[in-house]
Formats: sequence, C-alpha cells, structure tokens
Amino acid sequence: MNVFDYSAYALFKWSDMRMILNATLLTIRVTLLSLAIGTALGLILGLIRCAKNRGLASLPLIIMEPLRNSPLIVQLFLVYYGLPSVGIRFDAYTAAILTLSLNTAAFFAVLVQSSIQSIPRAQWEAGYALGHNKVSVYIRVIAMQAFRLLIPQAITLYISQLQCSSLVSLVSLMDLTKAGQIVAQKTLLPFLVFGIVAAIYYIVSFPLARLSEYLERRTGFNY
Amino acid sequence: MAMIEVKNVTKSFHVKRKDEATGKLVRSTLTVLKNFSVDFTQEGVTVLLGPSGTGKSTLLRCINGLETIDEGDIVVDGLSVRNRHSLKKIRLTCGMVFQQTVLFPHLDVMNNLTMSPIKLLHMTKREAEEKAKFYLDKVGLSSKEKAKHNELSGGEQQRIAIARALMMNPKALLLDEITSALDPEMTSEVLRILENLAAEGVCMLAVTHEMAFAQHVASRVLFMDKGALVCDATKDDFFTVYRKENERIANFLKFIGE
Repeated sequence: MNVFDYSAYALFKWSDMRMILNATLLTIRVTLLSLAIGTALGLILGLIRCAKNRGLASLPLIIMEPLRNSPLIVQLFLVYYGLPSVGIRFDAYTAAILTLSLNTAAFFAVLVQSSIQSIPRAQWEAGYALGHNKVSVYIRVIAMQAFRLLIPQAITLYISQLQCSSLVSLVSLMDLTKAGQIVAQKTLLPFLVFGIVAAIYYIVSFPLARLSEYLERRTGFNY
Repeated sequence: MAMIEVKNVTKSFHVKRKDEATGKLVRSTLTVLKNFSVDFTQEGVTVLLGPSGTGKSTLLRCINGLETIDEGDIVVDGLSVRNRHSLKKIRLTCGMVFQQTVLFPHLDVMNNLTMSPIKLLHMTKREAEEKAKFYLDKVGLSSKEKAKHNELSGGEQQRIAIARALMMNPKALLLDEITSALDPEMTSEVLRILENLAAEGVCMLAVTHEMAFAQHVASRVLFMDKGALVCDATKDDFFTVYRKENERIANFLKFIGE
C-alpha cells in the first residue's frame, strides 16, 4: 500500500482512535502511579545512601544494583511470568506498576544521593556554625539546594520512564503501544497508527520537559 | 572567668599517604594540636598567628565543635564541646566566619541573614529584618538586601557573612582567615569593618596573616608552631620583645614582610 493513497485511510475508524485514547489513559495512569511510588521509595533509599554509617548506607544497594543493572523488560517478565512459579501471582496491571515503581526508585535513589552529596561540605558547616542541628541543616540548607540539582535529572528520568512504560504492552496490558499494535494490524496502516502513537507519547512528555525548564528558572541559582 | 577554656587538647587527623619505599598507601596519623591549653576572655581582639598547618584553624573549628577532639576538653561559657547537647549553645555563643565564604546560594542576602534568627532565636520576621538592616548598614551593604550571592563580590560576601554571624548575638566571633581568599582592596574593606566592630567592643578570635590587622586591632597575640603555643603576649610585647628574642617568630615576621 502506498502511504499517499488516501482512500486507504478510510479503514481507520473513530472507534480505533477511541481505543488508542483509552490506552493513552492507561499509559498515563501506570506511569504516574509508578513514578509517584518510585519517587517516594527512591527518596527514602537515596537518603539512606547518604547515611554516615557505611553499613547502613550500603543496604539500599542490595535492591538498587540488580534493578539498575538488568533490563526493565527482564524484570517485568520475572515479576509477571516468574513469580507465579513460586506462588506469588500478580495481575498484569499490578505487575507493571510494581516493576516500574521499583525500577524508578532505584534510579531516583542515585539521583537523590548524588544531588545531596554534591552540595559542598562548607554549606553543612556554615549551617552548623550558625547553631542549626543536622535535621535543620538538611531541611533549610541542603535539601533546598539539592532539589535544584535534582529537578532536571529527575524529569529526564520521568520522561524516560514514560517511554519505558511501553514495555508493559508485552505483559498483555492494553497500553498505548499495545493499542497501536492492534489497530495497526487491523487497519493495515502501521505508518499512520504508529505515527499517531508516537505523537501522543510526545504530547504527554513535552509538558514535563517544559516543567523542568520552568522549575529550574524558578529555583535558579549558581554557585 | 575565662569565656573559652582550652584544656590539654590533642587533635589528630587520620591521613592516607604514599609510602616512599613501597609505593603503597599507608594510613598515618597527623597530630595537629598537642596537649594544647589556652584561655580566652570575653574582651578585645586576639590574633592567632603562625605558619600554615600548625593547627590555628583546627583550634577554632574545635572550639566551635566542627571537629571533635581526641583528648582534653574545651569549655565555652561553662559548656563542654564534648557534650553534643551543648553544641548548639556553644555555636550561638561563638559565631564563626570561614575563609571560603559560604552564603546560602538559594537565599537572597536578607534571607541569609534572617533565616537562622527566626528559626533558632524565635525572632519574628519583622524583628529579624530590622536587625538585619541594622547590621547590613554596619557592614556598609544596605543596598544589597535583595541581591543573590553571585551578584556580590568576594569582599561583599565576606561582609555579609560577618553580618550573618552577628545576627545570632554571639559573645565572640571566630574568624578563620577570612581575608585570605580576597584581593588587597577587598581585604581592606573587610578589615575596616572588623576594626569598627573591635572599636565597638565585639570580642574576636582571629586567625589571620594580615600583620597590619594584628598591629592595629589586636590586643593579644598568640603565635603557634607545630601544634604548640610558642608565645602568648600582648600585641606590644609581641612586636617588640618577642620578635627580637624568639628566633622562630623573627623568621616568620621576616618572611611575611613585617
């Protein structure tokens, strides 16, 4: 079929578009939920990574390293296909959210750790010298500055995790990518359909990128 | 009674250095302060002089509890730095200004000054701002209230840091080579502020290499070498008697161009 043969586009029905839009909602829901859980968990892991006690600080590595050093798709298969064989069964939606959350947490923890540790030691000491205790310095001096360093990296991670959520289509979840595959097969218009799918991913990511720029400007300062 | 009593303090750092013979990294201990004792009263300006690496900064950092001490004790206003719970009070008693200026980059000048008094001394925002204006005026930077730290020169930042320390009503200021990172012009700006403060009776304990400052402002001079106190004298004695009689001091002063 020729891409420029317009008569073929009649095969693409409104119902197909509705299917794609519904699937978009699922993709957004899965992504938002796993990013929220992943961020919260990652923040905790990252803070533990900054602990002074070496033993405590290395504890999070036990879950972070496997998650960071194996493909997301393998992790997903392990949870969805592998765990049932040891008696733990999740439905596709839960398995997707669980895997994406943990994966996000592992990467987010590294970002938290590196942002906090890149604040110069002198900032801590200046806080202490004024009479603040550790928690107070953490909140009023370090967190504020680390947040500024964290924003652009975190949003890059978020955008990348949004794209990675397309992998959940492989555990039979009707997300944007899966819907695209089905509609493309049905209409025989893969170029058009995947073009639309890609455009939707772009439209969802774009505001995030702008948000990053906005937040950087709002909180901006230089050393 | 002395406000700051340093009693037999020993402080060492663990360092890794390369062993000449084997080329391997070996741990070794560098003792910076050896059985060091000295008292400071709450009056006038005391200047700590001496070559680099003799523990002058370490002494100030120990007094403020930024470094822990291995042996001995430091008592500030009746409170020991060995007690973790008295550290806050000690730090409020001794304001500290560092060599590298550390204004908080996420806050403007006004908030840099008011944050700590509001949180730690429970001042209202208005009280804190009025006080901040008073001290900004004192360091000659009233117009910079809204400036961010990167809009200020090094000398201006250091003056703000002095004002920030004064905001906490300290009984003494610990100044750790605060002009070392500045050019001569900015140095003189900062020293002028310090002279004014000294004239108003603010007690200061300053590590410095500025002989002019020592000669004009100091009332007491301590000379340290290799972690030990070589001389503890009034300024006049130091620059007349000791520089003639003590070879180490004479040498040091010769190299520094005095």
